[in-house]
Amino acid sequence: MTPGAQPYLPPAAAPPLPAAGAAVIGLDVVRLAGFTADACLKCNVCNTVCPVARVTDRFPGPKYVGPQAQRFRSDQARSPQSARPQRVPRSPVTPLSLLEPPARPGGPGRQTAPRPLSPDLTVDWCSGCGFCTRACPAGVEIAEINSRARAVLRVQNAAPRLAGVPLRRRPLRDWALGQTDLLGRLGVPLAPLANAFLGSRRLRSLVQAVAGIHRDAPVPRFAGRTFRAAWRRAGHPLPRPGAAVSVGADGRFPRPDRAVVYFHGCAANYQEPRVAESVVAVLARNGLETIVPDQVCCGLPLISNGYYAEARRKATRNIASLAEWAAAGYRIVTASTSCGHTLKAEYRTMLDLDDPAARSVAGATWDIMEFLADLHESGRLDTQFGSLAGPGGTARPLLYHAPCQLRSQGIGLPALDLLALVPGLEPIDLDHDCCGVAGTYGLKEEKYEVAMAVGAGLFDKIRAVDPARAPAAACDSETCRWQIERATGRPTLHPVEFLAEAYRAAAPSGQRPADGPGPSVDDRPADARGAPPEPGSTASA
Amino acid sequence: MPSCDVLVAGAGLAGLTTALAAADGGASVWLVAKGHAATHWSHGGLDLAAPPGTVGGGEGVALLARRPGHPYEIVAEDLPAGLARVRRALDAAGLAYEGDLASPHGRIPTAVGATRPAGVLPGAQAAARAPWRPGEGLLVVGFERFRDFAAPAVAASLARPLPWAGAPRPERVTAVGVTLPGLAERRNLDGLDLARAFDDPSWRGPALDAIARAVEPHRGDGELRVAFPAVLGLADHPAVAAALDARLGGPWFEIPLVPPSVPGLRLYEAMVAALRAARVAVQVGFAVSAAIRTPDGRVAGLATAAAGRPFPIRAGQVVLATGGFASGGLVATADGRVEEPILGLPVEAPPQPAWLAPSMFDPAGHPLEAAGIRTDRKLRPVGPTGERAERGVRIAGALLAGARALRERSGDGIAIASGERAARLALARTVGALAVPSGPVAAGPAAGPEGRGAR
Repeated sequence: MTPGAQPYLPPAAAPPLPAAGAAVIGLDVVRLAGFTADACLKCNVCNTVCPVARVTDRFPGPKYVGPQAQRFRSDQARSPQSARPQRVPRSPVTPLSLLEPPARPGGPGRQTAPRPLSPDLTVDWCSGCGFCTRACPAGVEIAEINSRARAVLRVQNAAPRLAGVPLRRRPLRDWALGQTDLLGRLGVPLAPLANAFLGSRRLRSLVQAVAGIHRDAPVPRFAGRTFRAAWRRAGHPLPRPGAAVSVGADGRFPRPDRAVVYFHGCAANYQEPRVAESVVAVLARNGLETIVPDQVCCGLPLISNGYYAEARRKATRNIASLAEWAAAGYRIVTASTSCGHTLKAEYRTMLDLDDPAARSVAGATWDIMEFLADLHESGRLDTQFGSLAGPGGTARPLLYHAPCQLRSQGIGLPALDLLALVPGLEPIDLDHDCCGVAGTYGLKEEKYEVAMAVGAGLFDKIRAVDPARAPAAACDSETCRWQIERATGRPTLHPVEFLAEAYRAAAPSGQRPADGPGPSVDDRPADARGAPPEPGSTASA
Repeated sequence: MPSCDVLVAGAGLAGLTTALAAADGGASVWLVAKGHAATHWSHGGLDLAAPPGTVGGGEGVALLARRPGHPYEIVAEDLPAGLARVRRALDAAGLAYEGDLASPHGRIPTAVGATRPAGVLPGAQAAARAPWRPGEGLLVVGFERFRDFAAPAVAASLARPLPWAGAPRPERVTAVGVTLPGLAERRNLDGLDLARAFDDPSWRGPALDAIARAVEPHRGDGELRVAFPAVLGLADHPAVAAALDARLGGPWFEIPLVPPSVPGLRLYEAMVAALRAARVAVQVGFAVSAAIRTPDGRVAGLATAAAGRPFPIRAGQVVLATGGFASGGLVATADGRVEEPILGLPVEAPPQPAWLAPSMFDPAGHPLEAAGIRTDRKLRPVGPTGERAERGVRIAGALLAGARALRERSGDGIAIASGERAARLALARTVGALAVPSGPVAAGPAAGPEGRGAR
């Protein structure tokens, strides 16, 4: 930001959220997702947009497992918060397919062996992409109903636990996939070993046999140092809970019009610190300092895997930390669309966290691209981007996939608008519904093939463009980036990384903003970033 | 917040036409909708007007346009241009619709074995309306295990004179069931599942072989026309139709089914493809929650109920194409009021005791069908005494007062004509007038600092 430019104005208090379905039924209770099922017209529109039902017969479609099955769920079965373990009768025809789905995956479109499938148990095949909820003309929160139903089944069929850890194979795996914080804390110190392990196909086969994580599924590599560690080492504070309220008094942090609060989430901390660096650099270029608040995993991986109680503990801690900053007038930005959607919406729709603090966090949270687009629309974005053209100055197509968790935010496709500002880049919307991975869904051995079939059209569109013309793709969500990279071999980056690169291309070396990012914490060589081995390769990283 | 020249609320045919016409005219356009609706429920044809006593669409439109208070009174003059625009988009998608204002309605079969008058028809339904020749028979093909289309029941009904209401009809109607490959191993399928199966060339070949084999024995001495449930491909429908032409060597047509309507989905996808090519920002999934207003109260944009907080979009002109009762553009309350939920516009509606006719099948339809927003000739909402009810907003489609679209079969024509007109009038006020550059990210409009407030 140039001196004298208009300071960035924080938003007023968040306006009240509209009550979903309220226009239909007119009662306050309909704000609970489960009750919106009563507005279902049975029109099948949700089924037309479901990426999973599109490719496999194992999932009957969102209408059946969502609003339709909801009418057969008891009050207790609608609420993950009040669900209790119970014995589920084992039917000789329908085994507990939710907990132990057959390992033999159904091919796209057709299933070889017919078996009776209860709509209630097949809810586990819902990937949670949210297309159904957005397509519904009647306001039924279908994906939310599905997620809650899965969480209830998880509680009712709870595996025995030792020190909190489930003791059956699939529940253990799903629980572990939800522990992104824990995995990161273990993986980063052991990064060389862990990455070699994850890069070995033989060992991945072992992981699949033991833990049920498909050997070809995209698994990210750990960075050698977390973003938070690098940030602290570069001399920046990592405020503890309670720090925000003392901001004004000791002047430790810049005013809310000069800084934003950054929710980095797990991926940018443990696996992709380069994304966090880019966020910091792009904000700095626009005169905004970055504050890195106390935070834990947003909880989405736990929500997706049905572990609501643990997700709620994470959510409560994040809200306690972030609400102080929101109350002080700061905007909270995140470069993870998954974390962003969770902070904005899922704490309320899934976890029933709807108090003033949760609402203030939801109202203050911005996706980084949404935030930058807003800066641009008000004329405050530094648009002095250097060219990212290819050799000879030819403009390069940038293949862009809009992830589900971005579309669920309802903020348009701000990355496309911003990337179009960079000389030499021609962003192209790949216009495909879902890459398939849906967070941790596509990692599971029984769901891997479904996930790959969901994303097949996207991968084809990317492969159709010569890597020499379009050496990289862009996507706002980390798990989607890993899925696309793994499936196509095309390096896939966050859009903010291209903006940071374009700013670097504009500024002669040595003129980077003084308060820019810390030292590079991504210790992989440049050519290894985002270039995982092809499926089938036996080479270790 | 993003800003644009024209902001359209509603993704039915009216909203889609408005957005396309505005974008074609050089405006930057956003289209927002709370969900998919009318297109996905429709038969995929374009019903222009077929009130009782008329023979062709143009005649029907002219008749309705003479009725005081009917939407066609205002928008009929924009129908030819709007229809041409929509058909360009459909042609570009390979759908090649058939018929125009001069075409007679005819009577075409429905999925329950009745018949209905038709307007402009998708190419795959056009053969249903061709005159029946002496000796010509109709063979209704059903697919085993596909429950949304009961070919024997449809054929049995169409074999009787009653459904044809005196119109020319086939000399004989028969049915045949075809076993398509692999369906026995699949889940309970709907029309969309089958359409996607037909999109797969490797499955399509054997399936069309099976169909041709089943049809062949029914070819007697006379000519034969073949009817199929409308599931013959979605994205690759033109290729499926061409392949079927080659296999059958004679006339065939599709009968549209219950939702999800495959012909309606094709129509929607074709229109959205045209919008994308015209760089319209389309966002489905978030209802409009509030209006953005200038200090003097003019509507200068809308906010949608996005995740976490409302997402505001500023616009030089706003067009509401949010539909009637089925789509939520109008809401009837338990205590007898009819409301427009976004802006609280005054609604013209009969008092509750007169909402419904005594007979469900009253030939004149139900008075409540005509409920909606009354506008001036520029489609700007007005109150009961003709005073302007809101500034910065125009109305298009089923939200307009005065039509009984179900009975008149006028809904698609009104949607197209009013969408075309709303866009034309909006363009006159924005593009050039405000000099707002086009593109997804436009400079702020000249509306000045905005104030926000619901209603």
